[in-house]
Amino acid sequence: MSVPIPHIIKTDITAVKLFGNIVLAGIGSWAHVYDLVSNKLLQTVHALRGQKIYGFIPSKDERNIIIFGGKQFSIASIDWSFDGDRKVLRLNPRVGPIICDDWLHAVVWTKEEEIAALTAHNVVQVWNTSQERLITSSHSKDNSILYSGCLVPLDDDVLVLAGTVFTDVIIHACSEAEPLMSLKGHRGVIFSISCDIQKQLIVTTSDDRSIRIWGPSTTVTTPANTKEYWKTVAYDSKYEVYGHTARVMRSYITDDLIISVGEDSVVCFWDFQGNILKKNMAHQNGCIWSLDADRNNLVTGGGDSSLVLHPLTVAKEYGEHEILHADVGNPKKIYFTTRRNIVILNERDELQFYDVELKSVTETHKLAHESTYKLMSLSSCKQFVAVADMAGNLDVFAETCKGEPTLRKLVNTKLKFGKILSMHWAGNRHLVVCSDNGNITVLASKGNEVETVTNFFLPQSKERWLTAAGIDSKSRLFAVGDRCGNVHIYIIGKNNPVKTLNKVHGRYGPTSITIKNNGIITTGRDGTIKHFDLTNDTVKYMKSIDLNFEWVEKFLDKNENIVCGFQERVFVVYDITNRSKLVEVPCGGGHRSWDAVRYIEQIQDNYDEFIKLIYLKNSELHESIFQLGKIVSRNIVNGSHTKEINCLQSHLLEDKSAMYFISGGEDTTLRISIYNTENGPSFHDSAIFKHLSSIRTVKTFNLDNNKILLVSAGGRAQICIKVIEFKDIENKLTVESEELVDYQVKGTDKERKGNQNWKSCGVDFDPEMRMMDIEVIKVDHGKFLIVAACSDAILRLYEFEYSDNKNSFKPAGEIKYHKTCILKTKTFRFQDKDILITCTTRGQVAFWNVTDNLTSNKIEHHINSNDAKPFYMTTTNKSGINSINAKELSKEEVIFATGGDDNAIHVNYIKFKEFKCVEKQGTKVDNFHCSEVTGLSFMDRNLILSTSIDQRITLSKYEINDDGLTCNFVSQRYSDVPDIQGIDVICETSDNATVCVFGKGLEVLNVDKPR
Amino acid sequence: MGKTSKDKRDIYYRLAKEEGWRARSAFKLLQINEEYNIFDGVLRAVDLCAAPGSWSQVLTKKLRQNSEAEDDVKIVAVDLQAMAPLPGVKQIQGDITKLSTANEIIKEFEGLKADLVVCDGAPDVTGLHDIDEYVQSQLLLAALNITTHVLKNGGVFVAKIFRGKDVTLLYSQLKQFFSFVTVSKPRSSRNSSIEAFVVCQNYQPPDGYVPTMANPLLDHKYCDFNEFTGPNRFIVPFNACGDLSAYDSDTSYSLLLEGQTTYEYREPVQAPINPPYKEILDKTKNIDIRK
Ligand SMILES: C[S@@+](CC[C@H](N)C(=O)[O-])C[C@H]1O[C@@H](n2cnc3c(N)ncnc32)[C@H](O)[C@@H]1O
Repeated sequence: MSVPIPHIIKTDITAVKLFGNIVLAGIGSWAHVYDLVSNKLLQTVHALRGQKIYGFIPSKDERNIIIFGGKQFSIASIDWSFDGDRKVLRLNPRVGPIICDDWLHAVVWTKEEEIAALTAHNVVQVWNTSQERLITSSHSKDNSILYSGCLVPLDDDVLVLAGTVFTDVIIHACSEAEPLMSLKGHRGVIFSISCDIQKQLIVTTSDDRSIRIWGPSTTVTTPANTKEYWKTVAYDSKYEVYGHTARVMRSYITDDLIISVGEDSVVCFWDFQGNILKKNMAHQNGCIWSLDADRNNLVTGGGDSSLVLHPLTVAKEYGEHEILHADVGNPKKIYFTTRRNIVILNERDELQFYDVELKSVTETHKLAHESTYKLMSLSSCKQFVAVADMAGNLDVFAETCKGEPTLRKLVNTKLKFGKILSMHWAGNRHLVVCSDNGNITVLASKGNEVETVTNFFLPQSKERWLTAAGIDSKSRLFAVGDRCGNVHIYIIGKNNPVKTLNKVHGRYGPTSITIKNNGIITTGRDGTIKHFDLTNDTVKYMKSIDLNFEWVEKFLDKNENIVCGFQERVFVVYDITNRSKLVEVPCGGGHRSWDAVRYIEQIQDNYDEFIKLIYLKNSELHESIFQLGKIVSRNIVNGSHTKEINCLQSHLLEDKSAMYFISGGEDTTLRISIYNTENGPSFHDSAIFKHLSSIRTVKTFNLDNNKILLVSAGGRAQICIKVIEFKDIENKLTVESEELVDYQVKGTDKERKGNQNWKSCGVDFDPEMRMMDIEVIKVDHGKFLIVAACSDAILRLYEFEYSDNKNSFKPAGEIKYHKTCILKTKTFRFQDKDILITCTTRGQVAFWNVTDNLTSNKIEHHINSNDAKPFYMTTTNKSGINSINAKELSKEEVIFATGGDDNAIHVNYIKFKEFKCVEKQGTKVDNFHCSEVTGLSFMDRNLILSTSIDQRITLSKYEINDDGLTCNFVSQRYSDVPDIQGIDVICETSDNATVCVFGKGLEVLNVDKPR
Repeated sequence: MGKTSKDKRDIYYRLAKEEGWRARSAFKLLQINEEYNIFDGVLRAVDLCAAPGSWSQVLTKKLRQNSEAEDDVKIVAVDLQAMAPLPGVKQIQGDITKLSTANEIIKEFEGLKADLVVCDGAPDVTGLHDIDEYVQSQLLLAALNITTHVLKNGGVFVAKIFRGKDVTLLYSQLKQFFSFVTVSKPRSSRNSSIEAFVVCQNYQPPDGYVPTMANPLLDHKYCDFNEFTGPNRFIVPFNACGDLSAYDSDTSYSLLLEGQTTYEYREPVQAPINPPYKEILDKTKNIDIRK
């Protein structure tokens, strides 16, 4: 990253436009131009001022484009050029932004230098774009407020379709005040109207969750692009269809599809008869605001700040499905082999080999088994097939690597250690067999026989057998899963587990175990993937990845990124890095026999990725093949939080090569995002952790170079503590995490349920409060005091100890001093002590001496006592304080500033003698912001940076002289981030500061300091 | 989640049920009154965007105290949504931004003008802050336009306002019609909420101003005395209203409030009479999201 940090804006994407290989996206007031082939950002244009972009309207010849939003529009010319054989475009702003007197819902080109715009009061304005002049304004008779609208240029007029607050779409011609007709039927606000006059099709979407498809109910012979047609025709509702579980925001009509997008993050593809063809989840549960499509692709922009490209083939070519007809008897178990042939174990005690090329069974191996209870397992490379029965008869086969595929029998033997209860391959050479009484035998082949490599002992449990097994690359360490969800780790030569990880997965046990690069990765039927670290033979729990499907079975790739499983009856393939479902097949649940593989194959000149699934249904062998390029959506811009970010801390690496953002929000996620510019600017969430409720605060403490303690807290009285390490592995920045504490004041749901037995089941009178803010204060080596400001007015203290091999977290006291919700806290050093400030909803500010009065040996003394007192208390703002900052000026002097709901900033200077206030000066400014002040930061040279819900960032300067304290306006700028919740200073020089404001999205910008 | 969880989360929700108000919003109007005495001498009032009707309840209770004769009191309540009847309140169902609705209201006050107009209008928020703020401001301006027809000189107008990025445009516009404009946040309104209330006192339309419903009032644009950015934005004084001892809407309280020994769960006072699209919600409940 070159020294000045570039401008970054991530917020709702409210407008998109596709031009072949190029896509335009409206992100805040900036138009972004992306190349779809390289995913690169080609250009940004500041198209509007202080206003989001809601539409891009190119002229017919594609040489000009209107960019509009709110009350503004501007016009850019489009320069087309060639990059190799690809057409690329460049926008050249030409006109505007022009500010109209009302909100614009739709704009169209009517002539070469003339446009028509529909306002929110149902007025059509016609502008001459070269003279930048309003020519006419036509008012409709019905000028109630509109939520949406659509303009269609006719040969002799402009057709207006107006979506009202209440249920009706009113259609009129611009030149006439009297409406032509109303489309009645919706039961809520009309959010969007699309119209294709050639197809005589109108599509509306609404608050009422429905999509309506309207068409002519009378036959009119005049062409649909004339006023005459619209004067005579009548339209009615042809189809009323439901596909979304929340409000439907927009729709689009392509050659043969209707596409709708909604608040539920779903894209629905419909045919013109209202039949649903396909549904796709696209934006991490965030609302989808915008869409555009051409012949091949759909592009959507969402509330999670992402821009996603979807191949349109997904609607009609979702996989190839076939029933494989072959004489396979009554198949019981099926698996893919290395060469993607199929081995089938049937009820006739046969193992069959189905050749996929020849589409037939080419071999049948009779097994001589005694028991009908059979076990079958394939080695990790899928070359070796082991089949055993409960009595111990074992056969091992191998598929040939070259030439005609055949199955070769390697082993035929009888194991003599009692009833065989489970059998799993660990890697490619070891077969892990569990028999009666928890005896685990690890076998390897030797000639036609097997030999015992080692024996282990499985601890007592009910259903005492294994569910999965893994082995490390040195064949020294084994990890197995049992039916209670535990993972046991063994080392060759020792019978008992060297370590047991309790209850890693639910009661069905782990479904797969992978040991790799000093780590263990397990999957389970509890919807999670768990990571453990094995460095130096100590096992550390690192993290859990929560998936939105219950049954996670196994990885389909070598990088543990593509995982498959079941969501009830639907087979799911999921991409972990991109957090998206790749494939969904309703095949009937994971209890049937099934298998899946992933592979790359050449398709014409390109390579594409495929997923192939086989499963048994009604004794038939079904096969489904998915070409991912045809069905998988791809991010052009990565998403992040789907709702407001409440708290954020940035970390700039020392060499400024990259930046990390740690943020928590209303979407209950804590995210660590990495920004770097190595291959063009890129922003992606490297780690995501979930809380039970909204996250209100994150605080960090530097432990070491690139290693931090991360504390987050919020709703449902929850605090989580992690150690985060920023790593650079093979030139790729990654984040490693170790989860240490997940604590709820009133216990976790599980603990509470458990308690119900002995606790009377009456009403619990205590509210579950929210933790509003938190501070981490180091008190000793590896020892921290954590102070939590809570919504029930209590200040809660916790003691946290952390060292390499142990950590502990325990409550250390409650201070009941304030009477209302404590909103914000701040710590700073003063007289070499840690000072804590607490601020409330009533404008109170209290100063606490942490070092002398609240640190651990003292706290015990205060537990549940009411007499811990601040050394100084004052009231500044008229109501809630939403931001605070403070610093030491000298050994005796402190300056602090508070910003509140009353849109005022209070700056106070205080002189303390022995922690008693001896002098106070203060000033208040209430015209720097017109809404809640949510961020405040002191910079050098007496500068104060403040921000607010009003989307302004103000720089001011305080001065202390003989007349007292004053605070004066220096400069102000606007941010595109709505609902700003705070500001974080990333770095500061003598000339400027780079800051990040966050709220509904985030923006990184430079603020110049006065000379 | 138990049924008491909302009582726990929101003290005013719970108090509203205990005191018989249809919505917790009642406390906002009561607390504004504590600060500004907006009901003093008021007999005729308009309640715009009134459903489910807790402000109308407050108005009924307060205005009746101002007169011996019940007939002197006139309250007109308007909303898009149907509202359960309230004795003594004339109801109009309609869109306040629509000319026909406005005319209906104006007709009610031909002859005697209103002393007070209140508007608690809020749109169904989309989640896009600028649109939500715009639509809310249009409700406020529609209410102001109606006010210019029905409010007596010297009367009071109280309206909900979203303090978003362009709120100063509304402030400067209101200031043209009223001598005193302040913005208030009742203690029953959440700290984190964007909503506040403008209290506009002493209605004095500009000289020669002729009220017209033919065109909607459009909001101002930024200009010299009200810049887009800079020290000259038009900002009105702020007040926090409601007693300091009043409950705080951000604070989590125990179900057993101080001084209480028992707690009893109560049902809401007035269930919504026409829950929006109930049958549709039932329909979409079983939508298979994976088709
Ligand atoms: C916050 S509620 C009012 C609560 C009310 N003051 C009370 O105390 O019960 C906002 C109301 O605004 C109404 N509203 C929104 N847009 C409107 C419009 N264009 N015309 C009339 N009412 C509208 C909604 O129907 C909703 O009932």
